[in-house]
Amino acid sequence: MGALDWLIIFLVLLAVAAAAFVVIRRRRRGGGVFATRGKP
Amino acid sequence: MTASQINGLPVVTVHGGDDVAEVRDVIYNPEAGRLVGLTLNKRGFFSGRSREVLPAEAIHAIGRDAVMIADESSLVAPADAPDDVGHPATDRNVIGNDVLTEGGTSLGVVRDLALLVGSAGEVVGYQIEKPAGGHGYIPLPAQLAVSGAALVVPDVTQEFIRDDLVGLGAAVDDFRARLGMQ
Repeated sequence: MGALDWLIIFLVLLAVAAAAFVVIRRRRRGGGVFATRGKP
Repeated sequence: MTASQINGLPVVTVHGGDDVAEVRDVIYNPEAGRLVGLTLNKRGFFSGRSREVLPAEAIHAIGRDAVMIADESSLVAPADAPDDVGHPATDRNVIGNDVLTEGGTSLGVVRDLALLVGSAGEVVGYQIEKPAGGHGYIPLPAQLAVSGAALVVPDVTQEFIRDDLVGLGAAVDDFRARLGMQ
């Protein structure tokens, strides 16, 4: 395989890793401050 | 300290020092001026939301670096927790709410809650973004009347807006004493 093929493989792997990172962070996302009844 | 500083803190047992969960969301009762509970994430980078929640009654203390509980039995299933904690109203985020005085003056928009360090979640004030820009802190009465659309505070609150948490700490007692005199 040529250099271009390796570059494409690298970019695809990079995109997969980035997508996985985003999914993991979204699963852990929180940070809300929720009011009970009688919202101010 | 502020509510946003609680989010992400580890939940640690007093008896054993075990790190059992991580704070996800804060649930707050504006009428009582106190936290009623916390939702949790499991520990570990790849872990998601925990099914268990932590009612405020089971919190030993909220410190700068950890939320302390007696032991792991303090974490309860949503069905066993108060309804506001077990099934939090995620559409009722207080961040971004307007703050109005009883005289109709806008003091700004809520950006965070200010809590007493070491308590089990007493809320003593709000961090606000002022209409003219910049941040400030306002003290809250021990009990707060609420309306449907905005947080309504006494007119005298305008005199007690402070620039930092240290200033707020000193202003809370004076503010509440002043309200008691009215």
